[in-house]
Amino acid sequence: MSGKSLGLVFFPAFDWAITPAHPEREERLLYTRDQIVEEGLLDLPNIKEFRPRLARLQDAERVHIGVPGLAQLITDAHLVSAGGAITAAEAVMRREVHSAFALVRPPGHHAMRVVHGTRGFCTINIEAVMVEYLRRHYGLNRVAVVDTDVHHGDGTQDVFYHDPDTLFISLHQDGRTLYPGTGAMSELGSPGAFGATVNIPLPPGTTDQGLHVVLDQLVLPMLEDFKPDMIINSAGQDNHYSDPLANMAITAQGYARLTEKLGADIAVLEGGYAIEDALPYVNTGIILAMAGLDYSRVVEPDIARCPRQSETNTRYIAKLVAEWQDIWRRRDELKREAVAKAGDLWQRRRNIYYDDSGIQEQQQETVRQCPFCQGYQTVATQADSRAGGSRSAFAAIIPRQSCGVCRRQAQAAVHNAKQDGRHDHYYLQDKEQDTLEEI
Amino acid sequence: MLLGIDVGGTFTDAVIIADGRIMASGKTPTTHSALLNGIVTALDKVLAGLDASRIKRVALSTTIVTNALIEGTTDKAALLLMAGPGLNLTGLVPASPYFLSGYTDHRGREQAAPDRTEVAAACRELSGTAVAAVAGKFAVRNPLQEQLVAGWVAEELNPACISLGAQVSGSLNYLRRINSAYYNAAVWRIFSRFAAAMETALTERGLIAPVYILKADGGTLPLAAAKARPVEAVFTGPAASVLGIMALAAPAGPAVSLDIGGTTTDIALWQHGVPLLAPGGAAVNGYPTAIRSFWLRSVGIGGDSYVRRENGSLAVGPMRRGPAMSNGGTEPAVADALRVAGLIDYGNPALARQAMASVAADGQTPEDAAWATLRVATGVVSRTIRAMLTEQAEKPVYKVEDIIAGEVYQPELVIGVGGAALGLAPLVAEQLELPWQVPPGYMVANAVGAASARSTTEITLRADTAQGFYTVPELGIKRPVDKKNFTLQQAWAAAAVHLGERAAAGGMAEAAAHSERIYEEEFNVIRGFTTIGKIMTCRLQATPGVLMPVRVREAGV
Ligand SMILES: [Zn+2]
Ligand SMILES: [Zn+2]
Repeated sequence: MSGKSLGLVFFPAFDWAITPAHPEREERLLYTRDQIVEEGLLDLPNIKEFRPRLARLQDAERVHIGVPGLAQLITDAHLVSAGGAITAAEAVMRREVHSAFALVRPPGHHAMRVVHGTRGFCTINIEAVMVEYLRRHYGLNRVAVVDTDVHHGDGTQDVFYHDPDTLFISLHQDGRTLYPGTGAMSELGSPGAFGATVNIPLPPGTTDQGLHVVLDQLVLPMLEDFKPDMIINSAGQDNHYSDPLANMAITAQGYARLTEKLGADIAVLEGGYAIEDALPYVNTGIILAMAGLDYSRVVEPDIARCPRQSETNTRYIAKLVAEWQDIWRRRDELKREAVAKAGDLWQRRRNIYYDDSGIQEQQQETVRQCPFCQGYQTVATQADSRAGGSRSAFAAIIPRQSCGVCRRQAQAAVHNAKQDGRHDHYYLQDKEQDTLEEI
Repeated sequence: MLLGIDVGGTFTDAVIIADGRIMASGKTPTTHSALLNGIVTALDKVLAGLDASRIKRVALSTTIVTNALIEGTTDKAALLLMAGPGLNLTGLVPASPYFLSGYTDHRGREQAAPDRTEVAAACRELSGTAVAAVAGKFAVRNPLQEQLVAGWVAEELNPACISLGAQVSGSLNYLRRINSAYYNAAVWRIFSRFAAAMETALTERGLIAPVYILKADGGTLPLAAAKARPVEAVFTGPAASVLGIMALAAPAGPAVSLDIGGTTTDIALWQHGVPLLAPGGAAVNGYPTAIRSFWLRSVGIGGDSYVRRENGSLAVGPMRRGPAMSNGGTEPAVADALRVAGLIDYGNPALARQAMASVAADGQTPEDAAWATLRVATGVVSRTIRAMLTEQAEKPVYKVEDIIAGEVYQPELVIGVGGAALGLAPLVAEQLELPWQVPPGYMVANAVGAASARSTTEITLRADTAQGFYTVPELGIKRPVDKKNFTLQQAWAAAAVHLGERAAAGGMAEAAAHSERIYEEEFNVIRGFTTIGKIMTCRLQATPGVLMPVRVREAGV
């Protein structure tokens, strides 16, 4: 028996769905439950099952600014899912287990800092809530989040886009061919956190072979360079060859080997919608790999269906890897250039679409490039819903370990905005004080 | 009149119950080497002066299976597995298995067919093995492959017993079903021999009543049915005492029960009048099995637990060094402390004081030493109870509602039975700040439990209307259903019919009259955005429990 112990928070939320026929519905983890219970995985001496705790609203508001308020936008299921990730993380932090897997739903990696509704099945970002919880309660600092969901982890990217202490690596099917459309190589983090966002858009049809080239030649060396205190895997499983929402060709073996190589401290389930043909096998593979057990016998019944990688893709991936290796090698120099170019204030405007809620959001984000801290940020947001309503807000965010200047300027920014009165709501998120208040 | 016999570690107890009252009881030392001798002696004691033909039912709780497993006198069984994809089972099961081709998936669909030549080759290698077990992954979702392979094994190997995983348990958990099926085959011969000898002994005494064997979950099995599922007769001693508590005390609210014997205390948690079951099932020889069993914790604290000083502090148990000094032993024990503290009134008080004086610290009176001893002993028991409560509170749940609205389990009563119950149970209750009760009859609770236990059996019906069939693994049934019109209500109705069939086949037709739904699950099967069927799971059981409450006129029968 392996000496690696694994904590498992299994929370299939059998009584929660977005809508009855939505891919994110009650039975999404039903067949996974059947498989892991049938395998007897929960009876293995080195696997310990934990009951998820309920995250508090404050845990979620440490990350998110909900408009008009997060409480109105979420259900209890979201707090259990985020709480499940926290439970898994705490089991690792307290050294009760070597690593942990939060096999929970609903997922979270498309939920951004500002939340007007549900997008990509996500309302709150459960990994981000977990990371910020660990920072607040366990003093964790450097974190790497490796997102292996087939979709770009745009929410997690957004939450950490200005944070140089969080290395966010997303492997995904190229955004030109799949929701949410983002995740190009050029999205590298705002200047102060340049290179802490790594996007690796893979061509449709990428197989285990291509995935492991990227892992071996890019992701693992990056992790080695970054030296995180903790590695988190956003373990989406929709890269599987049978997934109905995407076009990749990864197998359960491919996922299990990835899990073994990555050696994440915590894995958190994200997407994966081949609920019957892929999830039972992929999850079994991941659990065995994390527990240090033999996963070589986990093979899908229809494995013959899985395509081989095309020559074109192999060449494309080799080129992509070479380009990224070059950027990574020059990242310090590129960062200096980006900071110099941005000057005191860095700004961007974006349109964000909430597919599950039918909301179109316009956002203007401003970051003060501060030489003494991460720099405060402001966000002006306006959301127009399909139903016709419109809602706007202005928020200022004071980072952890903020300097006095940023703190005062952030407070002034939100009060000035309120005096101007162009928005419906005004928020101050103070990460130092761990508060979110409506002004 | 009901006759109950409980074979314990130290004593074999027999009781006769008539109209809910104990008519006679007898105690005799358990004869470990020849179990039957002790049973027969106890039997003859209670039957003395009685017309044996008036006994309407005989129920037996015996250590035959447990002992055979502990002593390693079981058979080596051939183990043939259709494991399909998944966990590598090598080293996780009690024998080296033969892995066969063929497997069924989680929806019960055959994904690969078994291969007869492979089975024949395995049987040639296994030639001479007397018993066998066959288990397929997801056979509970479709038992046909398991049955097919078992048929081949019967022809090729001709073993005296073949256990099938899905018939031992209808629940998911392949690992547990393999282990259960394996042990079922492994104990089959030893149990069969015991059952035959038992039948002869009863017939010789003119007992014509049906004979039942107690199971670890407190139900009983007719002896004939027990021969097919002997592994269910494991760990029946603690189950008997739990049933005894049900008969004697009938706790309605949440409660903790303690069976305080000579060397150990068995702890159970109660809710809604029944003890909680072990999640998944009992462990046998360290291997998890699917054998339904009460959730019990045993701690090494009892009336005979050895008391001494270790590095200056008092230590109690878990070992026993013979009886307490007050009862003629040579070493201090908990019973001496109880005697000195005035909590029991048997045993020699002077010898008890001597015992406590020998473990007293400087300046400590024997009384102080006795109370200190009892604090240590009850502390061990209370800590274990608190750990069980924590474990119960942390039990995983899979619905949002259960997290938000899940009730917190909090016992409201401590019930004690067994030899040292009157002494120790009140002290444990005091530490837990709960009221306590030691019901009359507490000395023979085990035998009362055995005598009054009701027969029980369960079935699992799982319908997959998208595929158009349902299965009842315990009966080896797979049947078509109307894809469009089959409802959960119909599933329950079919389950009730099958429960009746299983009960009748096991010789306990009357048991199915009291049944309860113990699990229900219903999910839509969706393709694209359309519902194409439902998956329903219904688990129905003949309610376990006691035939009637048992009254005893005064404490300490
Ligand atoms: Zn996804
Ligand atoms: Zn600053």
